[in-house]
Amino acid sequence: MSVGSRTGDFPHLPLHVILLIYVVVTLYPLLWVFTIGFSGQQGLMIVDIPANATFLDRLRAIMPWPAHFSFSNFTSVFTEQPFARWLLNSVIVATATTILGVFLACTAAYAFSRFRFPGRRAGLMSFLVSQMFPGTLMLIPLYIIIVQWLGLGSNFIGLILIYSITGIPFCVWMLKGYFDTIPRELEESALMDGASTATIFYRIVLPLAKPAVAVTALFSFMTAWNEFIQAATFMDKVNMYTAPVGLRFFVGGFSQQWGYFAAGAIVTAIPIVALFLFLQKYLVSGLTAGAVKG
Amino acid sequence: MRARSRVALCAAVAILAGLTAMAAPPVELIVWHSYRGGEAAAFEKVVANYNAAKVASGVKIITLPVPYDALADKITAAVPRGKGPDIFIFAQDRLGGWVEAGKTIEPIDFYVDKATRDRFLPSTVEAMTYRGTLYALPFNYKVITMVYNKKLLTKVPKTTGELVTIAKSLTDASTGRFGVAYWYSNFYYHAILMNAFGGGAFDAAGKPILDCEGNAKSLDLLLKWVDKDKFLPAEPSTALVTALFNDGKAAIVFSGPWFLGEIAKGIDYGLAPLPTVDEAGGKPMRPWMTVEGVYIAAGSKNKDVAYDFVKYVTDVEAAKIMAVEGRQTPANKLVYNDPQVGNDPILKVFRQQVETAVPMPNLAEMSMMWTPASSAMAAIVQKSATVKAALDQAQKEVVESVKLLRKQQ
Amino acid sequence: MSQKPSHRRRFAAGLVAALVVGVGLSHWTLVRARVQENRARAERVALVSLNALVDIVERAGGVGDSVRRAVAVFARGSSALTTIRVVAFDGLSLEASTASADGGDKAAPRRLAREEKPLYDQGQRLRAAVETNHQEGGARKEEIEIAAMPGGGLALAAPVTKEGAVVGLVAVETTPVPSPPRTSWLAPLAAVLIPALAFLVLAVPIAERRWVLAVVAATLLLGTMVAYGRYAFATMAGDRRITERTVAGEVTAEAARASSVVSELSLGDPRTLHPGSWDADLFRRPLELIAPDGTVHEAKLAESLAGAAGRTRQVFGAFAVLALALLAFVGFGSATRLGATLRKHRQAYTYTFPALFGMLLLVFLPFLYGVVLSFSDMSLYTSQAPMGDLFSKLWVGLKNFTDILGDFHVATSTAGGLVWNYQNIYWTLGITVIWTVANVAYGVGMGLFLALILNTKGLLGRPYYRVLFILPWAMPNYITALIWKGMFHQQFGVFNQIIQMCGGTPVSWFEKTSTSLFACIATNAWLSVPFMMVISLGALQSISADLYEAARVDGATRWQQFRSITLPSLKPALVPAIILSVIWTFNMFNIIYLVSAGEPGHSTEILITQAYKFAFEQYRYGYAAAYSMVIFAILLAYGVWQNKVTKATEGI
Repeated sequence: MSVGSRTGDFPHLPLHVILLIYVVVTLYPLLWVFTIGFSGQQGLMIVDIPANATFLDRLRAIMPWPAHFSFSNFTSVFTEQPFARWLLNSVIVATATTILGVFLACTAAYAFSRFRFPGRRAGLMSFLVSQMFPGTLMLIPLYIIIVQWLGLGSNFIGLILIYSITGIPFCVWMLKGYFDTIPRELEESALMDGASTATIFYRIVLPLAKPAVAVTALFSFMTAWNEFIQAATFMDKVNMYTAPVGLRFFVGGFSQQWGYFAAGAIVTAIPIVALFLFLQKYLVSGLTAGAVKG
Repeated sequence: MRARSRVALCAAVAILAGLTAMAAPPVELIVWHSYRGGEAAAFEKVVANYNAAKVASGVKIITLPVPYDALADKITAAVPRGKGPDIFIFAQDRLGGWVEAGKTIEPIDFYVDKATRDRFLPSTVEAMTYRGTLYALPFNYKVITMVYNKKLLTKVPKTTGELVTIAKSLTDASTGRFGVAYWYSNFYYHAILMNAFGGGAFDAAGKPILDCEGNAKSLDLLLKWVDKDKFLPAEPSTALVTALFNDGKAAIVFSGPWFLGEIAKGIDYGLAPLPTVDEAGGKPMRPWMTVEGVYIAAGSKNKDVAYDFVKYVTDVEAAKIMAVEGRQTPANKLVYNDPQVGNDPILKVFRQQVETAVPMPNLAEMSMMWTPASSAMAAIVQKSATVKAALDQAQKEVVESVKLLRKQQ
Repeated sequence: MSQKPSHRRRFAAGLVAALVVGVGLSHWTLVRARVQENRARAERVALVSLNALVDIVERAGGVGDSVRRAVAVFARGSSALTTIRVVAFDGLSLEASTASADGGDKAAPRRLAREEKPLYDQGQRLRAAVETNHQEGGARKEEIEIAAMPGGGLALAAPVTKEGAVVGLVAVETTPVPSPPRTSWLAPLAAVLIPALAFLVLAVPIAERRWVLAVVAATLLLGTMVAYGRYAFATMAGDRRITERTVAGEVTAEAARASSVVSELSLGDPRTLHPGSWDADLFRRPLELIAPDGTVHEAKLAESLAGAAGRTRQVFGAFAVLALALLAFVGFGSATRLGATLRKHRQAYTYTFPALFGMLLLVFLPFLYGVVLSFSDMSLYTSQAPMGDLFSKLWVGLKNFTDILGDFHVATSTAGGLVWNYQNIYWTLGITVIWTVANVAYGVGMGLFLALILNTKGLLGRPYYRVLFILPWAMPNYITALIWKGMFHQQFGVFNQIIQMCGGTPVSWFEKTSTSLFACIATNAWLSVPFMMVISLGALQSISADLYEAARVDGATRWQQFRSITLPSLKPALVPAIILSVIWTFNMFNIIYLVSAGEPGHSTEILITQAYKFAFEQYRYGYAAAYSMVIFAILLAYGVWQNKVTKATEGI
């Protein structure tokens, strides 16, 4: 394509400067997490400095860098507890949540976007409204439903159901927004050619909505990946805990082992980053323009 | 071949076990706890010993560690609905609430004979007692004591007078050094002074007494330390205290056993009982005591067997393992007769400190105390309110909350 | 439609359905009320016996041979109590027992056996209840326990007091409760058939005049409901009168028996017995419906019945409204249309059903529980009460809401100026609004800004920037929030170090409301950028490059392109994201809780952290649920308003 840049030929240097400044803002607190994780110690201290320090003292003190590098926190996280197993559980639960959540959201969002039916507005609104419920006293009713009614206590399926359904409203709204922007002419012509609704959905709409699906997938995955209290409440076996549950062992009650927590947090962030890297190409592929032409 | 011989062995053991315990069907008891690391390992060892001893009777204990932040909620969700464990280990702070809610914990007065009751430190039994009924056997306790850097401190203060003199001499604000560091703006930590002056949170009849004279006096003393003697750091927190001590910038720290695990390698530290308070007529500082108890779940199908285990884990043999390997301070007082425990430089001090400790109230209403009390403490330390005004305000809030909870029929 | 629908037929069907539902529910209520009354009667009768017995046991000193004798003599004449057991706490001793199992070597007195632990625990529970009520100066915990036994009898237990202290308990079992009176099926059957037939007859001359049919059907329905309600209440009142007579008879009989036992065993003066106080509630407070001489206090009974009539009227009124709604639904053809719609849009409903069903089960149902809870005053103390209690004992109507919203004590003016009341919901709401607006504005602004830059074609290193920018989202906020809190530390925080490097004086961030709130907002804003950036990045992809091409050919400036192409194209994705992010931020608990924890003095609490406080610190679940409903209502109002302004759901 000869189009060139979308926002014109803006000089790149100032853009890089802005981005780099924000990179510092983004990374600074995270570097402290790394510092704590690699320090080999357990404290959650930021700056260590005398009261009337010089400018250089202060500058050195606010640099997030461990005094001594040590991997001991990382090795302890994995050797003292079955953390690898918990990470695996998290991957299983989060992946299944993503698949189920995106599937449920796609079908519903497609119906909301393409069909006109009574109750459509009410249904869509109810998804939005559901997000407004404060979760203050939800644990006990959820426990009754999941464990007592459905018998899904200590079962990944229970967690997967909760997580994927909690994520649905956002996913449906996102996807419906994107589906709305996809021109209907494509589907109409396919319909003329005798394709079924399902075919149209899988062959035409879904590929075009890849960026949206990527966003919702990332969101679903995150929902499942970071949740702690339900996973800890519904799982009754050690080898069924997820990674956030494992992490919280380090810092509950009187024990405050932030070194372990930071190390574990860094490890649990890696799959998210990997997933994002994988989804990136869908977020930036510039689909619609190409597809309409092709 | 190996697999086959193992199967044969198992079969033989099973037959033997079956012969010795024809009538006893296998019973599995679930225990929930929130231990990790060394404590968990020690506890697993105790459980393994018990299981080994009980092979014949078919009783088997299975443990589940649950993160502390989720354990109480998990118990509250599961146990009243007939799910969950047979036994769980938790501190006394939820005891009153669980009793009042019902269907959660089993009273054990009926089981406990005098000999069993007498093997514990009396105050730990008191912590497990709610409205005259015993609900758990105490397992271990945690109290705040004095931790000091041996390199910085040559003489251990015995009174607050000595403490102030020594602390002032060790304080140098310009280099960020402090004589004493502790989370003095926190209600739990402040209790060491409050209780020394005869103050506290509730009176014997369960009425809030935040505005009592003892509390006011204790805060006056704290303010003197902060404003006049100036040997305490500003805006204290656990993280700050740990950092200062680990950098050798705080000579004395008031903290509990949880702090010891956070001390950096290379710091030569010692423990000593908290000093007496000259301003309170030489009465000792009295920390609050948190006691972990072993509870039987109300929904357990095997309460008699469960009690047998509860009794076992709180007995001397198990207590020794928990003390020596788990680094806990057992509530069983007999275990301190064992030289390995009684002569341990750390456990010894906690055992001494417990003599002046006060069990933290186990009333459900205690949870209403924290927020108003910490706000009052913050306001007082930041000078945005006088001691009296802040305490009166906190007392008013707590009294109101208590009244609203205790609705009458 | 091939066949024109008949109004007459619809209304007939509607009336029958409404009658079946309305009368059915009313009848079910009546049957249940009679069962309850029957049970209540048995309980009161048993209580009178028990209280008489406790009186005698206490006179006999609670322990020893005199108690055994007293129990034996008392049991001789009693037909209602099958077993009597007296337990003394001291020595875990079974002092007396008339149970057949407790004969021979198991005869009292003896130590309680291990399987009798529940009996002892029950006694301790009652002791604690008595002491608690005494200490609190009220009646909060039941001092007498009643439970149904498997065989149909009742098991009751009452504390034994000696010199003001509870020293034991008396536990009794009764003969099976007599089965409740049969309620005839003829009345409800007639109440359905007669009006239905009447309608059919009346409908002949009316023919297809829709409104006349509606009025006739409604009149018949309401008339039936009123008549059936009167019949039901008369039956209940009759049952209640029987209860009072039965209890009065029991009081007289027990008084005579107790008096003879007291004289026989010379346990004091029989005239000091107070039979009038034996008919009591579970807090041992006399009901005072029966006079000591065994006659019924008619005035008090009438008062009690009037109260019951009021409640019955409410319940039956609700049933009538329900039935009427059903009649209208079927009669005016909505039911038929609903069926047709479901068939016609089968595909759409099939597509949406799984998601909707899941939401219904796991989101809306728990929410409904919260709604019910908000009308009750359930607290920790009553948290194990059965669901039904929420609608009866614990129901407080709108009280929680009026307490929350009706408190306008936002500030007090003093000599030193205004003093804010930080506990007040309007203050907290103000803080919550500032918190939400600031966070979302920053999140959207910065997220979109970064996305636009990252969308620049040919910019070097874009993938790396993108990954770096999502990192705050990937790290658990439990730790990053605490890192931020540390960065705001007065002495050791980074911000104060920088201020000092620039020659300023350090700030005590958490001592003032404004700076404390700022610290929280800074933390959350930092956390919310990645999400908005990802949304914006995705949304930017749906804009066709051709549009920009065309705009540029027309000579549009960059700003014009942004205004007229980028923003409008982003709207479908961005507006829902903004709405959702407002809602989420509004209910974001973690950050406030971890960073400022409400300091100073609860002034930086937001609504959701307050709701948690009411639930988990004050244990007032009903109140906390109502507080949550207020939050919900505020968000709902916001949603409606936002919808109006941005037309987010335009074209739906």
